[in-house]
Formats: sequence, structure tokens, C-alpha cells
Amino acid sequence: MSETHLNIEGLSKSFDNVQALSNIDLKVDRGAFVCLLGPSGCGKTTLLRIIAGFERATAGKLVLDGADITNLAPHKRGFGMVFQSLALFPHMSVAENISYGLKLRKTSRVEQKDRVEELLNVVELPHIADRPVSALSGGQRQRVAIARALAIRPKLFLLDEPLSALDAKLRDNMQIELRRLQQSFGVTTVLVTHDQTEAMMLADELVVLSDGVIQQAAPPSQVYRFPANPFVADFIGSANILPAVSTSQKTLGLLGMNTGISVQQAPGITLQAAVRSEAISLRRVESGGTGTISFARDLGPVTEWLVQAAGHEIRVRGASSAASPTVGDQVELKFDQDRISVFAS
Amino acid sequence: MSTTTLSKGQALAFAAPAFIAILPFLVACVYILRFSLSAEQGVIEGISIRAYQELMTPFFGRSVWLTLKLAFIATVIVMFMAVPLAFLLTSLRGSFARRLLTVTILLPLILNLLVQAYGWILLLGPSGALNTLLKSLGLIERPLFLLFNETGVLLGLVQTSLPLAVFPIVSAVRGISKEHLEAASSLGASNWRILRDVSLPLLRPALVGAASIVFAFNASAFAIPLLLGGRRVQMMGVAIRDMISPLFNWSGAAAAGMILILLTLFVLVVSAWLVRVTTVKTKG
Repeated sequence: MSETHLNIEGLSKSFDNVQALSNIDLKVDRGAFVCLLGPSGCGKTTLLRIIAGFERATAGKLVLDGADITNLAPHKRGFGMVFQSLALFPHMSVAENISYGLKLRKTSRVEQKDRVEELLNVVELPHIADRPVSALSGGQRQRVAIARALAIRPKLFLLDEPLSALDAKLRDNMQIELRRLQQSFGVTTVLVTHDQTEAMMLADELVVLSDGVIQQAAPPSQVYRFPANPFVADFIGSANILPAVSTSQKTLGLLGMNTGISVQQAPGITLQAAVRSEAISLRRVESGGTGTISFARDLGPVTEWLVQAAGHEIRVRGASSAASPTVGDQVELKFDQDRISVFAS
Repeated sequence: MSTTTLSKGQALAFAAPAFIAILPFLVACVYILRFSLSAEQGVIEGISIRAYQELMTPFFGRSVWLTLKLAFIATVIVMFMAVPLAFLLTSLRGSFARRLLTVTILLPLILNLLVQAYGWILLLGPSGALNTLLKSLGLIERPLFLLFNETGVLLGLVQTSLPLAVFPIVSAVRGISKEHLEAASSLGASNWRILRDVSLPLLRPALVGAASIVFAFNASAFAIPLLLGGRRVQMMGVAIRDMISPLFNWSGAAAAGMILILLTLFVLVVSAWLVRVTTVKTKG
């Protein structure tokens, strides 16, 4: 099932003198859930708005099902969109909001009513069709906004940080819900978020953006395990980015230690290593350790430490136990080969 | 929770200067009310509703009807002009064009009413620019009578009250969230459809507010009907003045004034109530 539904080719966008997006190439498969992830100002929202048709690209093409839609007006695209503010129409009831797109398509009243009922059932909010939008809670509005976008059987389902206004618990529930909905409708979906947990939770394909450039586009687990560059490694799952070197045995030298992990680069070459905080295990020693614990916090299932070693502050995360080292302890560091990525410096 | 930074007491102290200005006006209103109930025409003496009874004439009835009619028609025309102008002003991006249009619309508020009225007379009078032009083109033989009748007054009212409507609507148009418009667009609405289904309904409170101001302004107009209507268009403002100036009927003028105030208030209250009962709650 890897048929391309939306193809973004060489897309660029500049506002006055600011380059918001540079030469974006992205293929979105039919039925896929794509998350555009990046820090604020990375261009992810601009990219979504160009897909929706609210912004014009400065260069490049958008191709949907083989048809060039670069210059198609947004109201002719047939994409359902959920906005950050949700943008429910305050002067319409829940049913009127959901059926508005159908009314524009001159769907019969009976059919509109059926569809509203069907969608309210899908988002698990039956019996609220006649309520004014102002009478809804935050989570209910969220669901109505999703129902409104899906009611038109959109070719693409676009979401712009739709869950950012919800509190943490509700957000967790909505993430699962959203994924379930997307799969049952089988609709190709593009979601913008700055929350990496949300992106990992939802996406089939994770697109990491920074400075208007795609840093990496791959399934979430792959992005996490094989980050394409130090930025991605740091942004997804916050790794320790440490200077490293290729030793004479072509192994990774880190913090003055030989980790024994073999590397491709020729001996003597300086490298950068992205080391996940959970890729390091600590062993308490009486004296002569490579590092000293400067901070320890038991978070319940796991403990977080900061270790001062060879002039660096290293973040370590591991299972809590009674024998865990505490502040002031000397420790030896051991590295898990699978969770270290090495980049040319 | 209060949305302002001031406590009630502080806000009251802050508004004290305004009260100094408003109080004399309230006193004047009470004074006029008292005068309208005077038994004598020239001085306040005794209590009587004679002044009101004496107003129950076909002449005064026609004046009331004319006032409401012209104020209403002028308000409708103004609203049909103000809404497009407000959208134009908010859509203009170039600052020069926007400023030019803003000043042009504002001009009637800056210019003296007398100057504006004479402008209309120069333009539309029997030997004014328009008639001269039409005659020289051979389109008419005798001058068109555009002044000193209801048409002239209506033109004047529309022109002088237009800015009162445009600017409140402009700020309301600016207040519409872009995401609401984009949501409608993504659901398949063309720009005209968005205007009809989303923008105008969201603007409704502002539209009613603007229309109320324009209506009240026009119903109480005095200079424009006097200068552009002559004596033939007896709107209430003119009728009241005539009671005072040639007739010295102070109590009658006061009673007519009270009726004008009450009628205007009635129209405003009814329109505000209509908005409240027909608008789905948007708060919360």
C-alpha cells in the first residue's frame, strides 16, 4: 500500500526576505498519517497552509492523485482541516457546523442529517447535535471540529496543532482517538505538531523540519533509532550530543574512553556522537570513576541523573532502584551500542 | 472575573471628569422634561400635559412619520454603503491607499456641517454644477429639483452619517478570526459564500450597533434638514426649532423633544433586544 497520494515537489516559500521553506520534496502515501514535527518557526505550519491552499508557494508543485493542484483555490481542494483554534462557527449549532460543508455541496437535508448523526456517533458525542457550540467543553469542541472536517469525506485530512489547547490527560485520550478515527476512515492525514511524543504516537511517517528544510522523513521508530543528523537526534528524544573521535582501532572514543563501538571513519577523525540518555548505564565506584553525579531525581519508574564527566554534563536515564547512585557518587559509564549515533563532525 | 485592571472604585474615580460633562446634560434633560409638563408655554408653571395634547395634530404626526421614515431609509442606505467600504478598508494593504480612503470617509466628521450643506447646494441647486452640466448636454430643459425636498435631505443625512457606521464595522471586520474564514473555505465555501454565511453573521452585533448610532444621529438631525430641506421638509428637529423661534412655544418644543428622545430610545432598545433574542450565544 505505498501508492503516492500527495506529492510535494521542490516546494519553496519566502515571505519578503525570510525563507520559510526551501526545496521541500515529500511523498505522502495514500492512507498514511504524516506528522510534520519541528520547533516553532521551522516552517511546518507554512507547509500545511500551502497544502491547504491558504498560502501560495514561491516555487515548486503540489500534485494530488497525479493532478497539479498548486494553484487550485482552497475551497475547491476538498481537504478537511482542523485548526489550532478549532474555528467552530459560533453562530451555528453543532449540527450546522458539521453539515456546513455538505450544505455547500448541495447534499439533501436527509443525507446531511444522517451524516451528522453518523459522525457524532463516531466521535462518541451522540445527542448534542442541537447544542450551540458555546455550550461544549474543550474536548467536545475538539471532536466536533474533527467531525466537521471529516463530514465532507475529505481527500486529505489536515490538522494544525489541534490538541495543543487540551490538558495533558485529555490530549493523551484524543491522540489515541484521532489515530483510531484516521485508521477507520482510511483518510490520508497530515498533522502539524511541535510535541515529539504526540508525533511518535500518531505518525506512520515522521517529517522533522528545521529552518525550512526537511531534516529527516521516516517512520518514527527509525527516526528515533537512526537519526539523520545531530539536530534530529537532539530534537527527538533529546540525546546528549558529545564530541567524539575515531580511535586507532576504528572504534568510538568518547569522553576520553574507548567505548569499543566500531565506527566507519578513519582513525583520528573527529566525530559527533548522539547518545540517548537511556543508552548509558551507571555503576557506582568507590573512587576513580569517570564521572560524578551532580543531580539525581527519582521520577518513579525511572531516575534521571546529571553526570559531570570529562568537562561535559551528561543526561542519563535509567530504572530506579534502591542501589541507584545519588548526588556526589563516583560512577563508571557504560554505553549501549544500539542507541548511539555517530556523525561526521 | 473582571477583565480590566481597575477596581470598580478606581474606574469610577477615573471616569469622574466624564461625569462632570455628563451631569449638566442630564440636568438639562430633566429640565426639558419639567418644561414639557408646564401649564404655560413660556415659563415653567404648574403641571399639565397640555403641551403634549397640543402636539396631537396631523402636522406634528406627519413630522414624526417623516423623521422616522427618513432616518430609517438613510440608515439602510448607509449600511449598504458602509459594509462594503469596511471590507475594502480592511483588505487594502498599501498604507497610502488605505489612508487616503480613511481620510475621505472621515471628512464629513471633520468638516463643518454648514460647509457640507453649502457644498451640496453648489452641486445640486437649481443653478448648481449638476443641473448646469445636464442642461449644457441637452439632457434636461428645466433644472432637476434635488434640493429643498426629501431627496436632498436624504442625500445629506447619508453623507454626514456614513463615517459613523464605517469605522465601528471596520474594527469588527478586523476582529473576525482568520481561521473561521479559512475553515469555511476548506469546507468548500467561495469568498462570497463565506461573506454571507460566516462574516456577516459574525458581524451582526457590530452591524446593529452601527445602524443604531446612525439612526439616532439621523432622527435627531437638525442642520441638514434645515439647510437642504428648507422649510418644506419638517423633520422633528426643524419643527422643534420653529416652535421656539417664531412661536416662543417653549413647553411645546420641550414636549416634542421628549417625544423624539423616547421614540429614538424605543427603536434602539427594540433593535438591541432583537439581536439578543436571535443571536446564538457566542461566549464561553
